[in-house]
Amino acid sequence: MKKGRVWKYGDDVNTDVIFPGKYTYSVLEPEEMTRHALEDLDPDFAQKVKPGDVIVAGRNFGCGSSREQAATCLKYAGVQAVIARSFARIFFRNAINQGLPVLQSGDAVDSIENGEEIEVDFASGKIKAEKGVFAFSPFPESVLGILQEGGLIPYTRKKLEGNR
Amino acid sequence: MGQTVIEKIIQNHTGEEVKPGQIVWMGLDIRSARDFGGPNVVKNYEREFGDAPLADKEKTFFTFDLCVPACSLKYADNQQVCREFAKKKGIKVFDVDSGIGSHVLVEESLAKAGSTVVGTDSHLNILGAVGCFGQGMGDVDITVAFKTGQTWFEVPETLKVVIKGHFDFPASAKDLTLYILKKLGTHKAALKAVEFYGETAQSLSLSGRITLCSMVTEMAGIIGFVPEFSDLSREEAAKLSGSKFSPLQADEDSAYSEELEIDISGIPPQVAAPYSPDNVQDVSDLKGTRIDTGFIGSCTNGRTEDLALAAQILKGRKIKEGVTLKVVPATKRVYEEILEKGILEDLFRGGAIISSPGCSGCAEGHIGLTGKGEVQISTGNRNFAGKQGKGETYLASPAVVAASCLAGQIISPEEL
Repeated sequence: MKKGRVWKYGDDVNTDVIFPGKYTYSVLEPEEMTRHALEDLDPDFAQKVKPGDVIVAGRNFGCGSSREQAATCLKYAGVQAVIARSFARIFFRNAINQGLPVLQSGDAVDSIENGEEIEVDFASGKIKAEKGVFAFSPFPESVLGILQEGGLIPYTRKKLEGNR
Repeated sequence: MGQTVIEKIIQNHTGEEVKPGQIVWMGLDIRSARDFGGPNVVKNYEREFGDAPLADKEKTFFTFDLCVPACSLKYADNQQVCREFAKKKGIKVFDVDSGIGSHVLVEESLAKAGSTVVGTDSHLNILGAVGCFGQGMGDVDITVAFKTGQTWFEVPETLKVVIKGHFDFPASAKDLTLYILKKLGTHKAALKAVEFYGETAQSLSLSGRITLCSMVTEMAGIIGFVPEFSDLSREEAAKLSGSKFSPLQADEDSAYSEELEIDISGIPPQVAAPYSPDNVQDVSDLKGTRIDTGFIGSCTNGRTEDLALAAQILKGRKIKEGVTLKVVPATKRVYEEILEKGILEDLFRGGAIISSPGCSGCAEGHIGLTGKGEVQISTGNRNFAGKQGKGETYLASPAVVAASCLAGQIISPEEL
């Protein structure tokens, strides 16, 4: 469990600003993708983000185009978790599939401020912030399995090997 | 307790009783990838599964529709990556001349009522228009779908929306859709399946159903269904999907998360202003807004009926000097139909340019992007900042786009 700096944003952060459309139509490498993360929303983010940082946002985070890079660029940037009031479904899936934890907690979103340091405890389902401790609903078992294996592909490989 | 349409479809593909909130592994009848996402699927597959066979090559497809034919070297390379993989694995490719993948899957009878389809297109839930479960997913999901024929999915709750009243020209299915989007916003249908009912919903043509279901994505919903079909719309869907057409119906005692009524009586044409699809206003509130260019097409409004509506407005007229109008038929079949019916000629003589079928206009492609300061009126489904270039995009019906191109400003067709 590691402390991380909070990058706080509003409602409806769409995948076009998480990972700009002009870069999506080519296969990019992780390091290059990290450099463009949130470029159109917050140009500071890609330069200053550190492993373990946490994104906190409002409703419908990750709406818009189905681009996988929106989740991968955050994962590669070292983002520990995204906490939002709610997530657009495709982004939610992509994040889980990449092994990037996505947590829903409206109370945490209301209280946590940009720039503060918070701790996320996945085992107990708690977010420790300056103004208090907030609970998030634990992941169902099947999703937890995917996160624990580090993503859907390692999870699937393990399953296929198990079937052999 | 009865079940909603989505619950029935998922249950039929899991072999266990399902209820909303449950995460299940479900079987997929069709899995597809586009030229966007597809190259990553190939890259993932080869890296993770090497030469191992697909779960079923007969159920796996590539549908190139985003940048078709390739207008950049990167795209050309990416499409070729998919073609070579397809050849190795024995997968069919709907190549750069086919049109929008979701529409092609319907026309080819691959997306059938009651079946399950996934692909790398966030508007694949359009397939709800024919009672099929369609879902856009990321390239990791699709890689695993290619390999296993399965995916994990959370059974969503279902929202019931009863549409009251009727719309008349100049309003169309797009105006109905934008009006519902305005009422539901991006929160009421979020993460839910939506079932649309009422006489107007029932009698929507297939093209109208596609328009409505496509924008459930913008309502942040999972998928939209219009379970009831009037005789005419059932006949049309059966003809197009080419097979015995029997969409699943929700049970009468189904549990809905919420039941809403939306009265659309007498709605005027609706326009979504930049930069959000739910920023919807009556056309009169935006009247006089200068426009530089128009786009008619997309998975939302690229069918023959949509282009016919625009042609009807343009026939015998010319778009204003200095304005450009770009038309992109959804599929090759639509292209053929507008050619045969003289719609293409009316559009062309009215001043439009007509491109090869595909997603162009909503995404990068031959029909171009908007430059800084350029104002576009489009029949597409998204107007986020940066989506079609640096300009501003207004979303409207084919009739309003055509009329606005004639006037050089946003205007209702009845005011021409």
